[in-house]
Amino acid sequence: MPDSTVPVVRLTIDGMTVKVPKGTLVIEAARRVGVMIPHFCYHPKLKPDANCRMCLVEIEKMPKLQTACSTPVDEGMSVRTATTVVNDAHRSVLEFILANHPLDCPVCDQGGKCDLQDFSHQYTATSRFAETKRIFSKEYFSPLIETQMNRCVQCLRCVRYCDEVMDVKALAPVGRGTMTEIKHFGPHPLNCEFCGGCVQICPVGAITSRLSMYEYRPWMLKRVDTICGYCGDGCQMTVQTKGQELIEVNSAHGAGRNNGDLCARGFFGFHAASHPDRLTHPLIRRNGALVQTTWEDALEYVAGRIRELKALHGGNSVGGLISGRCTNEELYLFQKFMRVAIGTNHVDSSARYGHVNALHAMRLVQGTHRWTVTFEDILNADVLVLVGTNITETNPITGLKVKEAVKKRHATLVTIESLLPVVDTMSNIANLSHHHFSIPPSDLQNGILGLLKAVIEENLIVPELAPQYPAYVNAVTTALQEFSWQDLQRATGIEPDSFRHAAKVLAAGRKVIVLTGPVLLRSEQGYAGSLSILDLLILTGKLDQPGCGFAPLAEENNDQGAVEMGALTEFLPGGCFIDDAANRERFSTLWKTELPPADGASLVDMLKHAQEGSLKALFVVGENPVASLPAPMRAEDSLRKLDLLVCQELFLTETAALAHVVLPVASSMEKTGTFTNSEGHVQAVRPSIEPIGESRPDWEIFAALCILLGVSVEYQESKDILKEIRGATSGYGALGPTPSPLKVDGRAMDRYLREGYYPNLEMRYRLTPQKSRPDGTLQVGFGQSLFHSGKLSTRSKGLRQLEDRGQLRINPVDATRFALMDGDRVRLCSSAGEMTTEIKIVARVPQGTAWFPDHFGQTALGLFDYAVDPITHVPSFKTATVSMMRVA
Amino acid sequence: MGMCSVNARSVEHPDRRLSTGVSGGNVLKDKYGKEIEDILSRYPVKRSALIPLLYVAQRDQGYVTEAAMQEIAALLRLTPPQVYETITFYTMFNLKPVGKFHLQVCKSLMCALVGSDTVIGWIKTKLGIAPGETTADGLFSLSAVECLAACGTGPMMQVNEDYYEQLTEDKLDRILSDLRLTGTSPLKSGPFMWPEPVTGKSET
Amino acid sequence: MPKHELILLKNMMQPGYTGSLPDYEKAGGYQALRTTLGKIAPADVTTMVKKSGLRGRGGAGFPTGVKWGFLPKDYEGPRYLCCNADESEPGTFKDRQLMERDPHQVLEGIVLACYAIGAETAYIYIRGEMVLGSKILEHAIAEARAAGYIGRNILGTGVHVDIWVHRGAGAYICGEETALLESLEGKRGLPRIKPPFPATHGLYNKPTVVNNVETLANLPHIINRGPEWFAAIGSPPKSTGTRVFCVSGHVKRPGNYEVPMGVTVRELVYEHAGGMRSDKPIKAFIPGGASAPFLTPAHLDVKLDFEHVAAAGSMLGSGGVTVMEEGTSMVWAALRLMEFFYHESCGKCSPCREGSSWLVQTLRRILAKRGRMQDLETLLDLCKNIAGRTVCAFGDAEVAPIQSTLKYWRQEYVDLISEAEAANLIQLEPAGRH
Ligand SMILES: Cc1cc2nc3c(=O)[nH]c(=O)nc-3n(C[C@H](O)[C@H](O)[C@H](O)COP(=O)(O)O)c2cc1C
Ligand code: SF4
Ligand code: FES
Repeated sequence: MPDSTVPVVRLTIDGMTVKVPKGTLVIEAARRVGVMIPHFCYHPKLKPDANCRMCLVEIEKMPKLQTACSTPVDEGMSVRTATTVVNDAHRSVLEFILANHPLDCPVCDQGGKCDLQDFSHQYTATSRFAETKRIFSKEYFSPLIETQMNRCVQCLRCVRYCDEVMDVKALAPVGRGTMTEIKHFGPHPLNCEFCGGCVQICPVGAITSRLSMYEYRPWMLKRVDTICGYCGDGCQMTVQTKGQELIEVNSAHGAGRNNGDLCARGFFGFHAASHPDRLTHPLIRRNGALVQTTWEDALEYVAGRIRELKALHGGNSVGGLISGRCTNEELYLFQKFMRVAIGTNHVDSSARYGHVNALHAMRLVQGTHRWTVTFEDILNADVLVLVGTNITETNPITGLKVKEAVKKRHATLVTIESLLPVVDTMSNIANLSHHHFSIPPSDLQNGILGLLKAVIEENLIVPELAPQYPAYVNAVTTALQEFSWQDLQRATGIEPDSFRHAAKVLAAGRKVIVLTGPVLLRSEQGYAGSLSILDLLILTGKLDQPGCGFAPLAEENNDQGAVEMGALTEFLPGGCFIDDAANRERFSTLWKTELPPADGASLVDMLKHAQEGSLKALFVVGENPVASLPAPMRAEDSLRKLDLLVCQELFLTETAALAHVVLPVASSMEKTGTFTNSEGHVQAVRPSIEPIGESRPDWEIFAALCILLGVSVEYQESKDILKEIRGATSGYGALGPTPSPLKVDGRAMDRYLREGYYPNLEMRYRLTPQKSRPDGTLQVGFGQSLFHSGKLSTRSKGLRQLEDRGQLRINPVDATRFALMDGDRVRLCSSAGEMTTEIKIVARVPQGTAWFPDHFGQTALGLFDYAVDPITHVPSFKTATVSMMRVA
Repeated sequence: MGMCSVNARSVEHPDRRLSTGVSGGNVLKDKYGKEIEDILSRYPVKRSALIPLLYVAQRDQGYVTEAAMQEIAALLRLTPPQVYETITFYTMFNLKPVGKFHLQVCKSLMCALVGSDTVIGWIKTKLGIAPGETTADGLFSLSAVECLAACGTGPMMQVNEDYYEQLTEDKLDRILSDLRLTGTSPLKSGPFMWPEPVTGKSET
Repeated sequence: MPKHELILLKNMMQPGYTGSLPDYEKAGGYQALRTTLGKIAPADVTTMVKKSGLRGRGGAGFPTGVKWGFLPKDYEGPRYLCCNADESEPGTFKDRQLMERDPHQVLEGIVLACYAIGAETAYIYIRGEMVLGSKILEHAIAEARAAGYIGRNILGTGVHVDIWVHRGAGAYICGEETALLESLEGKRGLPRIKPPFPATHGLYNKPTVVNNVETLANLPHIINRGPEWFAAIGSPPKSTGTRVFCVSGHVKRPGNYEVPMGVTVRELVYEHAGGMRSDKPIKAFIPGGASAPFLTPAHLDVKLDFEHVAAAGSMLGSGGVTVMEEGTSMVWAALRLMEFFYHESCGKCSPCREGSSWLVQTLRRILAKRGRMQDLETLLDLCKNIAGRTVCAFGDAEVAPIQSTLKYWRQEYVDLISEAEAANLIQLEPAGRH
């Protein structure tokens, strides 16, 4: 983005005049006029290191050749990049770089996309080197990454990326001089975030992916740009395929919201789609067993049963649950199918697991269903507050924006997270934090209350507020005086001064963004916490200021889309409440039909209705309630009572195994559509392979069923649905670059400040007392691992190499206390149930707490009790107090 | 005579396999807590204490164990690879055990002009080890090293922390036998025994 | 009796002088501190140093006062002084003597420099091998601290200077000032790209001055006797003061000799170092440490000051004068130095990293009589392709031995290769291995 405050300088490059902002590097200025200066060590994401010396250029009035990658432009500078002297220099540096290079291009995976190879051609490099070449002994590096150090040109881009961008610092240049090689720690295999950044940024074939070793030459591959299907960050990636085979994923610098960065899931997780267990044919239950059938039969059967049930019990005997992994087109059509073709408002999606908490809060306080900020605003923020995000593991790329803002742009970071700031070779956002509050996941609200209390007592409330909304300010003040600093300190173990310091920083910030994520949103305090964060922003006068806002992070790739498409019982497309007469009217007209009654059931209630027998049929699309919901919700039991359970799935999950009809669907690698990421950016999804077997995109199934149920829809392709979506809601017009974010709706905020705040204010401002935990017990909850997303990723062979089973993460001190070593098996018993698992010692887990990855959570479901938020109907796992015992 | 190789002092043929020492945790901190604190207090940025702390670890075990590197990493809030990249840049750290007496003969031009190759030859005959090797009894390791800033008093060698200058065969014999017998030798340089420039050749 | 007045080596040449604090005080030590701290404005100290013409003794010869003047005037945060005691340039051993024999002279210089630049912390980065030197310095610091010359509120003047000894760990490149800073920060000693210079972005990114031990040791004398006195010594106006030359090689009495700048190598060798060891004629000498190109007997009367040595095609560098007698193989000598540079290249820049290994291997091959005539062109070409194309001056230094020996003693290379080629005709041995 051109920044108008930076003066522009004019210089010439090979005689061409170029105007660039002061401070631009010569190599970048040259790029502007189409002059590519050869380089290895330079990368726009990294600080210049000028070690390869390849980019030498002549600059008038400078006695020696200069490195274009590290020299900033100056007014009147005259640069020559193609004189004989410069060419000779390039050729000679190349000769040096090639001196010790094995020249093994025929067996190198980089062949065809290698800078060294390209420059060698360009300079028709010949070598006079006739001495003995340096040879490194080969050492095992990692399960997913291969190194061939003889090919290394020692540009250190990998090491610098790992440190500067990722803040991981897992790679070490080891030794000195020509014998420098890239290693992890001694002879140990690499242990890191496996973002694949080193593979992507290596200009030669020294670091490559083992997933695609020796498989291909770049020119043999087909490339498709699409959006990662794992988390709400919505990274753009290029999927490379050979026929139906998925070969490699990468992301070009500058591409997408991720600017070319990926995480382990994006880079190594793509094989989930081609897992051999993929369902390839429709299945139907005959004599108690699921057997293969044809699409015609399966769809006819489903339509027939629905027709019967509807006739007998009405539309409300049918419900539907869809995954936030589906495309917008599918989510839209699903809810339309339910509401129009079946005539029920029992519609829900995985956004219900937590994202909805933030949505309701935003709707209530600022009148939007989306962020009012963008990733760019995160980069430009001067104060960032993270509350329960577990950002590195859940939303790694948003995490990179936060890291960049803090490390390169000097934003102040406040974190209310459960982690301890411990350094290891997995980045930890708490390490970058200026004000870190380590609070257990179930009590995060206490941290927000601490900040709020400090804002009130330090008089940091924006002066305009109290005169305009005295009742609000009074109510909040009173509520916060209900507990003392001592109470807070007893509950959190944190000094009042820490809150005061952080609150002052926050109040003084000009661009303040609060991010929250699943740790808060999926907890019992998800809704209350979101509201108090919004209160915090209002009291300090930030909420409606440009560059400021509340940014809840979506865990599944299209949870935000699920909300915006109306795949929730309370919302129509566009985040409109369905009980609002004007909205009902609008959609009735649009859909040319009466809408079903507004009081639909959400997931929890649907299960209850099924249990009681009033719900007869359920569509489950890409969701697996049996393996994801707390045992006391008795999901399996409820589903077994249904007359008809239809599952649309990639795999025969625990839930699908109970179904009457299982319909195989295409994964996001196989279909066209759009995803909406956390920030509300709508991006195109494109197929890179054909649907596996007979699988079909979900939307085709909904469309077919609509027609079978007598609702005429005419969708030839998913684009036709997108057209309809554009008519139904704003924000889906262009799939362009930066979305212009929504603005806080002043009327909604006014309403909130006058009366909207009132219900449950006192309740949500109540301190959560520290749980007394009997000696010898731990507080256990679910968490997300960086190497997985939901359960889909557990089918990816790459990610399974990093983590193929659930392990309970515990603190080293606890491990010592329980006399446990990494990998030991333990039995956990809570009041609700028990499980046996393996432990993994992780220093950042606070003492006395432990977490289990929910991706492998089936076995742990029995430990937990649950709660349902009365307003948002979000079911949440309560953390469990467990006793732990070693077992053989 | 049996030999094993040493890895110190050479970046040319590095052996970077690490040996694991007795467990990690707080071994150094428990033993040298006061000294470590003192070192940390000298620097506004923790990482600066890295080399000094590695010296503490090397003094403790004769070489720097993997556990020590991990402990130091934790002390300085670094990742273990950050410690590893630093330690392998410098030649004075041993990543595995070396002989009790590490004879390091300067082989740079200035000493070579006055006979350092001969000194290496003497040691080879007397101890049966070539540069990079250790005697079977683990007493002596030999390395040929680069200039040690004693060019005016060559040929010279460093044994562990001490310099021995203006070596002659006689002097070498005495040094080796002193080392065997007492663990040190009065022939080492200092304190304040720099050979006078004018009477440069005088023996002390 | 030395022919010239000694300044830096004066105390230690007194019989019985131990370098202890009482000895130093008795010899007039810490007087400069008393007359300066709180009495002369820091900026005026810098002006005095500028006037004295003092130039860095670490190698580059940059005017010391001018360097100090580059520090930002209005910078609020901390500043640092780093005393460069890494002394690793082959042929150089003066700093070691200055530190071991008269440590307080160095410390007094450090405090004066800190005062002038407004630094409250100084680190002495001493090469790791000099354990004795570091112990002596630490002892001296403790003495000076107890006497109030170092620490908080020095001599009641309100000036604070803490001095810490920081040992390196075996890496020549850490003598390069920015590599020194990296090393002091606990990192690999890789030189930084300049600009920015340490004066603005030095240790911990703060304004920093790096000065050599000998440079700093001169300061008390400049204060005590006035910049004019100093500026009159040696070869004014550009090379003032004395130099401690480290004479090594085939001379009768190798060692450190402090003489005014501008004496000749002839004087140094024959009047101070006792002449040649075996009374053979001089064949070659290096005037300023391993990084300085070799010179020949024709240069014996070149004045040893910055300008004259440069004009003769070499450099005064660190003051290490290595003398070789007739009969020394210059190819061998070049290889010995090249092996040093190969071992010590930090590996950051491709030309230096790869070039040093290439040059070493080629020289070894030539010396092992497996050379070919075209090797000579390749050698020169590689040298040309390294020099001036690297991050630090190491690249320029490492080619000096080869370029200069090829310049003056090319025939020795040619002879070795001719022998090799003659033998090859008979043996047809494959080239390029060793
Ligand atoms: C490769 C290289 C090695 C150097 N080694 C030393 C050294 O050992 N001691 C030293 O004082 N200066 C050394 N220098 C010079 C320093 O970079 C720096 O110029 C000097 O410390 C500045 O101090 P001065 O101005 O007092 O000379 C070296 C420079 C280079 C390029
Ligand atoms: S010139 Fe050589 S020593 Fe200097 S930075 Fe480059 S590689 Fe390192
Ligand atoms: S790209 Fe400029 S030095 Fe490597």
